Amino acid sequence: MAVGIKVVPKPERTLSDQLYAPEIAKGLGKTMARFFKNTFGPEEEKEIATVRYPEEKREYPPRFRGIHRLTQRADGSPRCVACLCCSTACPAQCIHIEPAEYAEGDPRHGYERFPAVFTIDELRCIYCGYCVEACPCDAIRMDTGLHMPPSTSREHFLYDKEVLLNLPGRDGTYLTANPRHEPGDPTHPGIDREQGH
Amino acid sequence: MPTFKLNGQEIPFEKGDTIIRAAWRAGIEIPHYCWHPGLSVAANCRMCLVHVKSGRQMMMPILKWNEKKQAFLPDTKPKLVPACQQAAEENLEVDSVGPEVKNAQAAVQELLLLNHPVDCPICDQAGECKLQDYYEEHQATLKRKRTEPVHKPKGVRFGPTIVYDAERCIMCTRCIRVCDELVGDHVLDMRERGNRNEIVLAPGRELDHDYTLMTEHVCPVGALTSRDFRFKARVWFLKSAEGVCTGCATGCNTHVDFDPRYGKVYRLRPRDNADVNRFWMCDQGMMTYREVHERRLVTPVLGRGPSAEKLLPEDAPSEAATLLGRVKEKGKLAVVLGAGMSSEDNFVAARFAKLFGTSRLYLAARDAEAVGWKGDAILKNADPNPNRAGATQVAGRDLADLDDLLADVLAGQVSSVVALGHFGGEGEGKLDALKKLDVVLSLASNEGPLPSVASLQIPVASWAETFGTFVNAKGMAQTFVRAIPAPDGVHPAWKTLCAIAKELGLSLAYERTGDVRNDMNAAAAAADAQPQASA
Repeated sequence: MAVGIKVVPKPERTLSDQLYAPEIAKGLGKTMARFFKNTFGPEEEKEIATVRYPEEKREYPPRFRGIHRLTQRADGSPRCVACLCCSTACPAQCIHIEPAEYAEGDPRHGYERFPAVFTIDELRCIYCGYCVEACPCDAIRMDTGLHMPPSTSREHFLYDKEVLLNLPGRDGTYLTANPRHEPGDPTHPGIDREQGH
Repeated sequence: MPTFKLNGQEIPFEKGDTIIRAAWRAGIEIPHYCWHPGLSVAANCRMCLVHVKSGRQMMMPILKWNEKKQAFLPDTKPKLVPACQQAAEENLEVDSVGPEVKNAQAAVQELLLLNHPVDCPICDQAGECKLQDYYEEHQATLKRKRTEPVHKPKGVRFGPTIVYDAERCIMCTRCIRVCDELVGDHVLDMRERGNRNEIVLAPGRELDHDYTLMTEHVCPVGALTSRDFRFKARVWFLKSAEGVCTGCATGCNTHVDFDPRYGKVYRLRPRDNADVNRFWMCDQGMMTYREVHERRLVTPVLGRGPSAEKLLPEDAPSEAATLLGRVKEKGKLAVVLGAGMSSEDNFVAARFAKLFGTSRLYLAARDAEAVGWKGDAILKNADPNPNRAGATQVAGRDLADLDDLLADVLAGQVSSVVALGHFGGEGEGKLDALKKLDVVLSLASNEGPLPSVASLQIPVASWAETFGTFVNAKGMAQTFVRAIPAPDGVHPAWKTLCAIAKELGLSLAYERTGDVRNDMNAAAAAADAQPQASA
């Protein structure tokens, strides 16, 4: 197979290139011009690509995966039913859940269970978002838009149920975007034995 | 043996076999819900429909959609028969994979899921549910029903062990048949019909016989769940090891389900063994897994009462050797074998006694009356000890029991004791006589009367943490394997005894369970050969 060869001519060096000093002066001139424009020039002419990070932050894209939160029902109880789908999907094995049952007499008894313990090791988490994908109840979300705040102790990174439930989403609410009608709610479409078919 | 053809393959059958049973025996599964090899035939789930191609064909008139004429036209299709009810006959030609059968299976599956809540995420059966498996295998289409499913009672307490969810139930009646046929207690029945069908308790009754967990075990879906296992673990995290139940001398074969991540046993399930337990286990037996984690001993303790001090695990054998080194009259050391310990442990203990220079062997066994155990005619043996026969076997003779030991202690015949296991001595203050002895060494996995009177307790591995053999009441030696690792520094009893023997300078050194087992079997063979030689 023939290989096409393109010959690139060697750049010619002019006298000013060879003298060195004029080219340096030209380069420095460009740098200093940008420096003065960005420092003292009018605001609209400034061309700064960087941000002054801790004080100034970039806006994250809408699908940025921040630290997790657990969504709440209208009554403030966790939407999570402790099915362990998220911890099954988790490749970093950072989610620990202990399920419990609503007590007898509770309207939700028999319908759903809830997490008695729900802990995420945010240090171990790799922020892949599989837990969110796996959740059948939209109970875990990564839409807080928050970074993990730094801390001095490893224990501080074990986020428990209370912390996760009380982190708001970027829209400021604690609820899910997909409201659900629970059995027992007047809006629930179910028909039961008492109401007849 | 006569044979019939299933999908072109010759299947042998015995007289009285149905198609599904012959196939099951040959290792071929015809999908089914209501059929269970240990129960009678109900033929109500219709999942095992097959097409018998030989013989006279019975055709059903149907209306079939005709694309050309855009109308339903009269047609016929072969009538399928349930494989669980159709008797196997010589030269029968059966098809269980053809399009007619596939169609029927998909239709049955769709019907069963019509009103199913599909709450798999909160259902304990998820992961081992026949509805899930067969959905993937035989239906795999989206639900066509668009109306709200019929709602039925959920979370109904059936008794101290079982919770019932009528929405998930497919009315296969396996639970009813278990109660009727295995236990002979008609406590469950069904009421209403169609989509209002549900399982109910007999009026004024609870599901409280001794085999309630078998109803959960046979339930192919998540309708019946065990209150003990409920929400404790997801089954896909669990692994299984082959075990033998320690509840009584029947020695039911078990699957020990454990989570390898936490080294924790979550439940037992019966393992099929036609010669011992068939498909079943009793409730008490199913609950014996608890002793792997409850009331466990994990630290060696030297001394009794307030002066007791905890030892490091690695110091325990040398402390035991120091204690046993103080025994002046070696013939007065009593070695107590455990009826709850494996034959390997007991064999090494008997060896230890011989090498130490004592012939005083006793057997510590649970007393049925003291622990409130009653045998029955189904599975439960009157003797609540899993390995009384094994301990007797390795000793080579009938052993004196704990009452004899206490009498010998009072008579001054016994001045020191090495005891295996936590079985035996139940009853308040029964073993108080042993508290007066200076040297009482107990090797036990759990708290119990014997460890509580010991002057040195050394924890040993429980049955789930070691390999071993139990000999049941019928004299069948059954081996079990390790499920989870023992706690740090805790070893099987035979290994601990070897470590003590090493400190004492006795030549008792085994490295592996297999070595112990070989020696044990060789000794048993020699003992068997001896009477013949003398005769």
